[in-house]
Formats: sequence, C-alpha cells, structure tokens
Amino acid sequence: MKKRMLALAALTCSLAMVLAGCGASNTTGSKDGNEVITAFDTEPQNLLIPGNTNESGGARPGTLLFAGLVSFDAKGKASNEVAQSIESNANATQYTVKLKPGWKFSDGTPVTSKSFTKAWSYVANVKNAQKCSSFLSTVQGYDDLQKAGSLKGDEQLSGLKDIDDSTFTVTMSKPDATFPIKVGYLAFAPLPESFYKNPKAFGDAPVGNGPYKLESWNHNTEIRLVRNNLYKGNVKPKNKGVTFKIYTKVDAAYADVQGGNLDVLDTVPTADAKSFKTDQNVQAYNQPGSIIQMFTIPSNLPHFVSGTEEGTLRRQAISKAIDRQGIIDKVLNGTGTQPVDFTSPKTPGFSKNLNGKDNLVFNAAKAKELWAKADAISKDNDKFTISYNSDGGNKAIYDAMVNSIKNTLSIDVAADPMPTFQEFRNAVDKRSIKGGFRSGWQPDYPSAENYLFQEYDSAAAHGSGSNDGDYQNQKFDQLMDDAYAAPSTDAANAIYSQSQEILLNDLPTIPMYYDNAHGVAAKGVKNLAIDWQNLPVYSQLHK
Amino acid sequence: MGKYLLRRILQMIPVVLGTTLLVYALVFALPGDPVKAMFGDKPINAAVAAQIRAEYNLDKPFIIQYLLFLKNALTLNFGNTFSGQPVIDEIGQAFPVTIKLALMAFVFEAVFGVIFGIISGLKKGKWYDSVILIVSLLLISVPTFVTGFLAQYFIGVKWRLLPVTAGSDPGFLDLLMPAMVLGSVSMAYIIRLTRSEVSSNIAEDYVRTARAKGMSNRQVIVRHVLRNSLIPVVTYLGQDLGALMGGAMISETIFNVHGIGFLTYQSILKGESNMVVSIVTLLTLIFVVCNLAVDMLYAALDPRIRYA
Repeated sequence: MKKRMLALAALTCSLAMVLAGCGASNTTGSKDGNEVITAFDTEPQNLLIPGNTNESGGARPGTLLFAGLVSFDAKGKASNEVAQSIESNANATQYTVKLKPGWKFSDGTPVTSKSFTKAWSYVANVKNAQKCSSFLSTVQGYDDLQKAGSLKGDEQLSGLKDIDDSTFTVTMSKPDATFPIKVGYLAFAPLPESFYKNPKAFGDAPVGNGPYKLESWNHNTEIRLVRNNLYKGNVKPKNKGVTFKIYTKVDAAYADVQGGNLDVLDTVPTADAKSFKTDQNVQAYNQPGSIIQMFTIPSNLPHFVSGTEEGTLRRQAISKAIDRQGIIDKVLNGTGTQPVDFTSPKTPGFSKNLNGKDNLVFNAAKAKELWAKADAISKDNDKFTISYNSDGGNKAIYDAMVNSIKNTLSIDVAADPMPTFQEFRNAVDKRSIKGGFRSGWQPDYPSAENYLFQEYDSAAAHGSGSNDGDYQNQKFDQLMDDAYAAPSTDAANAIYSQSQEILLNDLPTIPMYYDNAHGVAAKGVKNLAIDWQNLPVYSQLHK
Repeated sequence: MGKYLLRRILQMIPVVLGTTLLVYALVFALPGDPVKAMFGDKPINAAVAAQIRAEYNLDKPFIIQYLLFLKNALTLNFGNTFSGQPVIDEIGQAFPVTIKLALMAFVFEAVFGVIFGIISGLKKGKWYDSVILIVSLLLISVPTFVTGFLAQYFIGVKWRLLPVTAGSDPGFLDLLMPAMVLGSVSMAYIIRLTRSEVSSNIAEDYVRTARAKGMSNRQVIVRHVLRNSLIPVVTYLGQDLGALMGGAMISETIFNVHGIGFLTYQSILKGESNMVVSIVTLLTLIFVVCNLAVDMLYAALDPRIRYA
C-alpha cells in the first residue's frame, strides 16, 4: 500500500512537470519568423548612442542601425553611402561634403547636413562625455570643446560649416587624408533632432538611418532589429531582421548554435577551439582577420632602449626567438596567422613583401647570434618579463611564447600574469610595468593609419594616445605627416608601407599573430561572409 | 512570540548595515579603475574620463561614496549603472527570473530529495537503496558546472529533449534543466539527510510504543517518524533557499539565464559598487527572512520548542 502511494506521488509530480512543459514549448516555437536571423551579442556597455559606443556589444547592432557618409564592403574598401561626394583641397585640410538627396531616418525625418555637423559637435564636446570624442580631434575647434568647466554641451565645432541642407564643409586643424575613411566609423553617424531632446531615451530606443531599425531592446536579454524600408544605401538585406541574443558566456552560445537555437556566433569558446572545425553540428569559418596581437617592449626599458644598437639587436633577437607558427598550430589550434607587418591582411594597402619582415620569422640560430652581439655591447643579466591579463584566456599563449624565447636564447624570461584587464590597463597607463606587456589592436575603420598613428606616432605617446611603449622616431613621424597630406588613399598607403619598414627594424612592439576571424553558424544558415571587422555580414545571412 | 519576532527583525538592521559597508569596501578595494576599463585598449580622453567620474561620484573618497549611496538608498534610489540604467530596474528584471529558477530548484530538491530519502530510509539495504545512495554520492562529488555541461550537451544538443539554453523570457520548460542542475547537489544532501533521520527514528522507543498501541503502519510513519525526521531537513531547506538565489550563478551562466547571479558577476567585473551592494543587501535580507521562517517552522513541527 505505502509503496504504491509513494510511486504514485512520484509519478504525478513528473507528469505535472511534463504537462506544464508541453504548454510552454508551443509558445516558444513560434516566436521567431523564418527569415529573422539570430546572432550572438553581449549586453552593450552603454546606451546605443553612436559616439559613446566603443565596444563590440554595442557596435554589432549599432553598425546596422546607422549609416554614415561612407560604408565599407567586406574587404574594407570604402564607398559613398549617404555622401554624394567628399572632396578634399590640395593638402587634405578642408573637405566639402555633398549628401545624396532623399535620405531619411527611420522616423521619417530627413537626413541633412545638420544631422552630421550637430552630431559630430555633440560627440566632440567634452561636456557630453562621449567615449569616442577623440576621433574628432583633427577637426578644427576640437580643443576649444575640451574645457569641461566653461561648456554647456551644445557648443559646435568651429571647423564645421553648413552651406545648405545637403552640403557642408569640414576644416581640419592639421592635414588628415584618412578623414574620408574615418567618417565610415560609427562615431560619425548622423543623429536626428529628437536625439538632443533626451539623449538617454534615444539611447534606449535609437532612431537611425541604417539598413535596420530597432524593434525592441529588452535589456540583458535581446535586441530585435527589423529591416528599415526607408534605407536606400549600399547594403541589400537578405533577411527580414536580425535579433541579437545577449549571452553571458560564449559556451552557452556555442551550445545554442549546436542545438540550432542561434544562427551565428562570431567567436569560439576555448573549450571548443580544437574541435569546432570538425564539429558535425555547426558550420565553421576560420580566416585571417583584422586584429593583430603583439607585445610591447617599452622604449626606455634598460638594455632594450629603442634607437640604440643594443636595444634594436635585443628586440630583433627576441622576435626571432619566438616560434610563432608552432604556437599558432599548437596553442591556437590554427585560429591565427603568421604576421608579416603591423596592420593586418584585411587592411587596404596590406603588403606581404615589406623589407624586414624576416624579423618576424622564427630563426633560432640568428636569434642567438643577435643576442650575443648585444651582449658584447653590454651584458644583460636582468630577468625579462612579459605581462598580460589572465582574464582573457591568454595564459597558454604567453607560457608557450616565454618557453620559446627561453629555449632559444637560454636567458631568464618569465610570463607575468595580472588577474584582471582593469589592473593590467592601470599598470600600462602608469607605465609601471618593467618589462614587455601584451598589446593588441582592433581597427575602428579600415586604414593602416588607424593602426600605425595611434600606436607608434610620437603624438600618441606619453598618455595622449595608444602608443603605450612611448616609441619615438622622427623619421616615422615625418612619414605619418606625409601620409596625412597625401593626395590619394593609394599614395598614403604607399607611405604607410614605407613607415612600416622602419617599425620592422625598430620593433617597438613584437607582432605575434593576426587573430583569425573565426566562429560558427547553425546548419542551414546560408551566405556566410566575414567583414573587415571580423564580424559576419549580418545583412547577407538567410535561411 | 510577537516580542521574539520584533527582536529578530531589529537584529536585521545591524546585519544589513554591516554587509553593505563590507561589500562596498570590497568592491572599492578591487584593483583597477572602472572608468579606464570602459575605454578598453583605445585612447582615453582624460576630460571625458573626469566627466564620467564626477557623474558617478567616483572622484570622491570612499566613505563619502558610501554615505551618498546610503543616503540615496534610504529614499529607494539605488543609483544608475554605468550604462545609464537605473540599478533598481535591472534588479527588478533579473530578480523574478532567479526567484523562478530558485523556487523550481527548491521544489525539485525538496520533493525528490524527501521522497527518495524516505524510500531509502525505510528500505535500508535493498537494491534501490543502494542505487539511490550511489547516485546521490555522484551528484555531491561532481561539481555543478560539470553536471551542467553534461546535461546541456546530452539532454539539449544531442537528444533535443529540453531547450539548450533558457534565453529571453524563460518559461517553465526553459528553466527545467537549469533548475534541476542547480538543485541536484542539495537534493543529494537531502536524500542522505532524510535517509539517516528516517532510519534512526524508526528504531526509536516511541515508534515501538506507537506500534504496540496498535496504530496502523501508515499512521506511525506519517505522524511519528516523518514529523520528527523532517526537522533537520527543514532547517537545511530554509538555508538552502537563500543559497540557491546566491549560488545560481554557475547554472545561470551555463544556461544563459539572465538572473541575479549573472548580474552580480557582470557588475563585479565592471566595478559597479551600487549594483553589487544593492544585490547583496537584497540577498542578505532573503537569508535573514528565510532563517526566521525556519525558526518559526520548528515550533510548528516540534511542540517542545516555544519562543518568547
């Protein structure tokens, strides 16, 4: 009797669970239409205001919501989007921008000159605390908008002049030949008048002029975008919409792609790095991308001082002592590519044949020889350390690299993990790291300038940019200036190649590998292509 | 009884104040600068950074920051996150999900834990007792994240029986697997606890007496054995409800449940003291209330216990 009673109780319980479950599953099944693509995202760190979006969580939906003066194709080539023409004067200090007629925001209001100039001034104005403000730093009047105390927030950049509704001019404070490419970056997006009334409300429900418009944003859960029928630019969406599902962990997203609950994931969790290329449950992609991983050796590090013979020899010796291909194959499971320059294979103007690229190739005998030469100048018995943040999955790579250097040069080398990215950045900013440290670069717009100027120009050193090693080289600076004043993008790219040959000799940073764009899509997703930002071209996906 | 209740409630005040101060100090002591981290590897505009610091009072000394937080908290204003969302809204969104998850796990572990425990305890030495014991031992010794990944891979990806992850607006079925994973370890403990209590109580004198008086077997088990056996189980369950809320983090990340555990984790990484402290305060309150409820339940279960 009592046994039967217990069994009955257990049975009713499980039955109730199953029954209740069936009801729920019917409703979830019909939630998504067939043509809507679901994609991985993380919760944007900021509200979706273009000038305040500087990380991928916000950039993924942001780039679909807004269209700038130019747009980039998958290879990173810029072509006019909202702009009819962007004309420069002889030395790239003044631009005249003409807009195509008929562009509208998704709320129906027209896109005019003012939509751009007012938005750019808003981003540049320090009172508005926009994280991308320094992108406007070459526009005249930028410095006047950096004195927080005396500003109200609506002051305009003096270098911007509206000629009429579809024409405006931009005066630069110094030559900037990359400006016509820069304006394709999200921070240069136009904003409708409604933005200024309540920026916070706008950021929660942005109104843009891009190929998609926002349907709903359920914070920490999902961002739903649908096709914007008022859009008339270069992108031709092949789906009805893109829903970004917010994940806390890549592992969960990967399991969802395997299970067919998520269409595309633009990264792969460490646990699946070995197997994703042969996983029967997904379609995998893996190709050279636009991110370059390096480590910086500070220019004033004893025995490594840049510009001195000893320093240069040691930098080259260290670089040649790293078995990059071995690390890429064994540690990265092939999700990286051997570097040959300081930009990336996805950067317009990229060249495989720069002088000095041998310095990035493993050569044990040569490395030993160079190190011995340096020791002949002045003996170095110091321990060489390389610091990195250990919260980003870098441990295996740095351990392998340190071992490679140690085994080749027989010197005292050690990896120095720091627990968090915050701590690591703090030490880098304070210049308190006495050794090499991890650095990497993800471009904001497809131009060699974005890599080279920000990281190696003297003007970006000592805290005023991302030249964290404080590398300074007059010849290099001169070439940067020449490239800024170059008459065309091609001419500028030739100069950038020249400048990279200086870097390949001086090695202010040691390039390790290009991060491959790699990720997975669910079975049945078609037309998977990867853009210059290492992201899937969402608009082209369909099922 | 009323006086006792009042005393217990008054005790909460120092507990809550102490935890908030401690947690606020801990988040403050985290190395690194949250504002700098917002810029990632990109160049920092110092003027913009200063502007953000001022907006979130990050430029003020620790104790001022804490007092400002307390002052605002008294008016139920818990501040904004760095992305400009009110803290209270984010918690309000995440909390129901975690409560749902924790309650499901709680029901799961209580029902199955007690049932299997009783079966095991009444029939010590039978084959199903051994099976239950081995399974419970397995659940205790294997870490939750392993159970979670295994369940996800086999039940979700391979056999497609349940949703792989919970996703947005999760329903009963979406949360079933995370809840079972979350509750599995506690369920195993409850099985073992119930089993040992039942098997020891069944040999007690008062049970023998009850049987000698001619009570039916069912009455003896339900009225005497179970009632006495459940006292330690209820204690465990009461404390566990709080632990489930705070401990849901692993289960929440594996199954992409957007609950309080995930929110806490994210906020600690970003250095959002307002958010972390608000959540911890809430969890503290839940712990304290659960414990109070357990103490009240004792009185109902055991007539010898009286509060004054």
